[in-house]
Amino acid sequence: MKFTITREQLQEGLAAVAAAIPAKTTLPVLANVLVEASKQGGGLRLSGTDLDIAVSTTVPAEVDADGAVTLPAKKLIDIARELPSGPVRVTAAGEARVSIESGRSKFKLLGLPREEFPSFPAVKFEKAWKAAAGVVHKLVGHVAFAASTEESRPILNGVLWELRPDRMRMVATNGHRLAKMDVPATGGSTADLIVPPKALEQIRRLYAGDAEIELAKSDNHIGFRAGGTLVYSRLIEGPYPNYEQVIPRENDKQATVDKAAMAAALRRMSVVASDQTHRIRLAFAGGNVKFSVQTPDLGEAQDELAVTYEGEPLEIGFNAMYLLEILKYMPTDEVRITFKAPERAATIEPVGWNDPASYMALVMPLRLVD
Amino acid sequence: MSVVARARVQLLAGNVADQIAAGEVVERPASVVKELVENALDAGPQTVRVELEDGGKTLIRVSDDGAGMDREDARLALQRHATSKIRTAADLIGVATFGFRGEALPAIASVSRFELETCGDGDAATRIRVTGGRVESEAESVRQRGTTVTVRGLFYNTPARRKFLRATATETRAAVEALTVLALTRPDVAFALTSDGRGLLDCPPAARLIDRVGALWGAELAETLLAVSHRAGPLEVTGFAQRPAQARPAGRKGYVFVRGRPIRDPFILRAAEAGYRSTIAPGDRPSLLLFLELPGDAVDVNVHPTKLEARFRDKFFVEKVVEEAVREALAPLDSAAPLGGAGFQVSGAWFQTEGSAHAASGIPLDLFGARSLTPDTRHQTPLLQVFETYILFQADQGVAIVDQHSAHERVLYEDVMRQLSGDGAPAQRLLLPLTLDFAPAELDAIEAHRELLARIGYEIEPFSGRSIVVHTAPNPHPRFEAARCLQELVADLAGGRFGGWQNRLERFAATYACRAAIKAGQTLEADEMRQLIVRLLSATLPAHDVHGRPSMVQLPKEELERRFGRT
Repeated sequence: MKFTITREQLQEGLAAVAAAIPAKTTLPVLANVLVEASKQGGGLRLSGTDLDIAVSTTVPAEVDADGAVTLPAKKLIDIARELPSGPVRVTAAGEARVSIESGRSKFKLLGLPREEFPSFPAVKFEKAWKAAAGVVHKLVGHVAFAASTEESRPILNGVLWELRPDRMRMVATNGHRLAKMDVPATGGSTADLIVPPKALEQIRRLYAGDAEIELAKSDNHIGFRAGGTLVYSRLIEGPYPNYEQVIPRENDKQATVDKAAMAAALRRMSVVASDQTHRIRLAFAGGNVKFSVQTPDLGEAQDELAVTYEGEPLEIGFNAMYLLEILKYMPTDEVRITFKAPERAATIEPVGWNDPASYMALVMPLRLVD
Repeated sequence: MSVVARARVQLLAGNVADQIAAGEVVERPASVVKELVENALDAGPQTVRVELEDGGKTLIRVSDDGAGMDREDARLALQRHATSKIRTAADLIGVATFGFRGEALPAIASVSRFELETCGDGDAATRIRVTGGRVESEAESVRQRGTTVTVRGLFYNTPARRKFLRATATETRAAVEALTVLALTRPDVAFALTSDGRGLLDCPPAARLIDRVGALWGAELAETLLAVSHRAGPLEVTGFAQRPAQARPAGRKGYVFVRGRPIRDPFILRAAEAGYRSTIAPGDRPSLLLFLELPGDAVDVNVHPTKLEARFRDKFFVEKVVEEAVREALAPLDSAAPLGGAGFQVSGAWFQTEGSAHAASGIPLDLFGARSLTPDTRHQTPLLQVFETYILFQADQGVAIVDQHSAHERVLYEDVMRQLSGDGAPAQRLLLPLTLDFAPAELDAIEAHRELLARIGYEIEPFSGRSIVVHTAPNPHPRFEAARCLQELVADLAGGRFGGWQNRLERFAATYACRAAIKAGQTLEADEMRQLIVRLLSATLPAHDVHGRPSMVQLPKEELERRFGRT
């Protein structure tokens, strides 16, 4: 193996795969980056994985001799950072060992044989779906936060990605709150994928907004491709719970509120709310919502906000953190909240969003005790 | 009727009356030891020695270096109802000396070959020999200040009683026990006991009670004891209570003293054990050593000839205060076991951060103590999680090590007890109701605990057959797994875990706390650790979990210094 690459290209490639390489691992080879030089491939392929997610990227390099090796990722990144700007020559120097030279700097680095590196899932891109990266970023950015982090229902740890001929949809929930976004699409086909949020984060990080992402799946893996960079991830096995059934259609009370004012009031109430449950009480009536919180052994607080409210007066309890989180992702200054009853789901939607996408969040109330 | 000869009523001869009294007071050698040592202690000695032969059946000798008596007093002392300790009936109220009835010496003398040798200050010594209650001789003798009483051939003239004496080893053990109890009341007096020439007990005078405890039962036991010191109204409770984690099902020591006098009162011990509620494993019995001080008119000790019982004017008040006293002793963080050396105080100020200041409000904070800490160290005491189970941090005087599961269990237990007795826990409605299957016994347990389950946040409805639907769930922490917690909780309830717990609410709370708490092996974020420690420090019994294990151990700085040879 022998190739020459600019220090900047090397750094760029390493930065792309670095995030997929685990900091701590029981399998030593996972701390390494796979370096593959190929004349035919037209450059250098760098890959890293933590066995859940794999990232692989190609950067231009002058390849004199094909070859592959794995090298300690952290050391290679440190070397690339500390080298002066200019061409870097990398040459195989025996079994799983390379020499790295740039100007008058010389390094010899010990690695592990290429055979020890796990192979990537066999995902075929021939029949790939296509999606604009910007659209995917928008979906991920508004939905992934709602996925569950506790491990008892693995399916809820994933984000449901529905591909339909005319639209794409993402849904995530932890059983207490849910986020859902639709965007129109054309020419797609039909598939339901349950993707770990970590993989979606990689996509957001690696692909520029104007890129076109190809995605394809094998039996239990999904692959993403744009430019020279590939992301593979394990898929979570379905079926995803029937979320459509729990999205309320009969909420007959609705409030339109200023997002910033509401968030500020919620934050004020949270100061006195219990650290564990963050329980606050909202009372909607007429043109007003009254916030109140009572925590034994600590104290209480009240606040009030003018809103546009239609419907019978309603008192309802919420976990303030869930509301604040949802408000944070709402893209407009005003939001609409709808209710049915104190023990039924409330929905939150943007008001006047000038976007082809449609977005909604749902949050379950907390039981109120009188 | 005719068979029974009609007898005339007669006054009994003195020695007969004495033998009858002996039946009450002198039961076995141990009671002789008790009576004689009590007399010796009332004489204000520095040292009391006891010699036994053949478990006291052949010889009991008690000598002291106290005030002694002159010949006149010595003669009188052997008469019934002769005492130096009270004069009028009014003196009986609040009597402070051990003896006062004036029965012991004549009673013992009436059933043995008895010898009294005594010497008061500046008097000539006197030796009086009595056999079976009859004075045999009275002579001058030579002795230092003090008194020696020798009892030979106990019950030689009452063969029925003699027959009931137990094996030598048993009688020896009883005598040692009798002396032990008295040694606890007077740590300032040296005690020694030899049996057939072998030293069984040797306690030098001690400045502190705990040193006396160490001399009697070994330093190992003494180190497991926590000081009790509590006052409520006229009643003061002092002494020692064992750390819950070190209590064992057998071999506990339980002693109660009222106004310095040992008494047997199972109710007071039971009240003290009630103070251990929720900190101790069912079946474990903690060692207890309790001294109750209260005004003389609030208690009557003259209930029983051997004075082993006491009657309190307000028994329930006494029991309540004893329970509080024990609970108070278990509350400080240093009631958790230290790793060698003495414990130290972990102050709540250490974990005060702006966001959590209120959480620590349960701890009395030293008003001025916090000034010595710079704000930086105060706000950022580093927390280190090891083995994904323990949290280490530096405290004022050492390193505190917290078990994350035990600590969380304690915190949740106290929360849940509040919720069960108060207005219930907040319950998160579930978007996707959980459907869970249970065994028939478990369904019964759910039915029996439906109300309690609802209060902690589980609203459950029967679904079909063995399934139930859960509509709301508690959400006590972000890692909480509602379905798994419910399954484990119900299995425990059905399986009778914590069955040793008397109180149904407490049993339920402990079971839930155990199942809802974070587990060993979970990696915690820095924030989570901090919050856990803050909440633990504001719990009422932070140092103990609900299974009778410690939630925290301490590695005192002194101990580190000792190990590294820095002292």
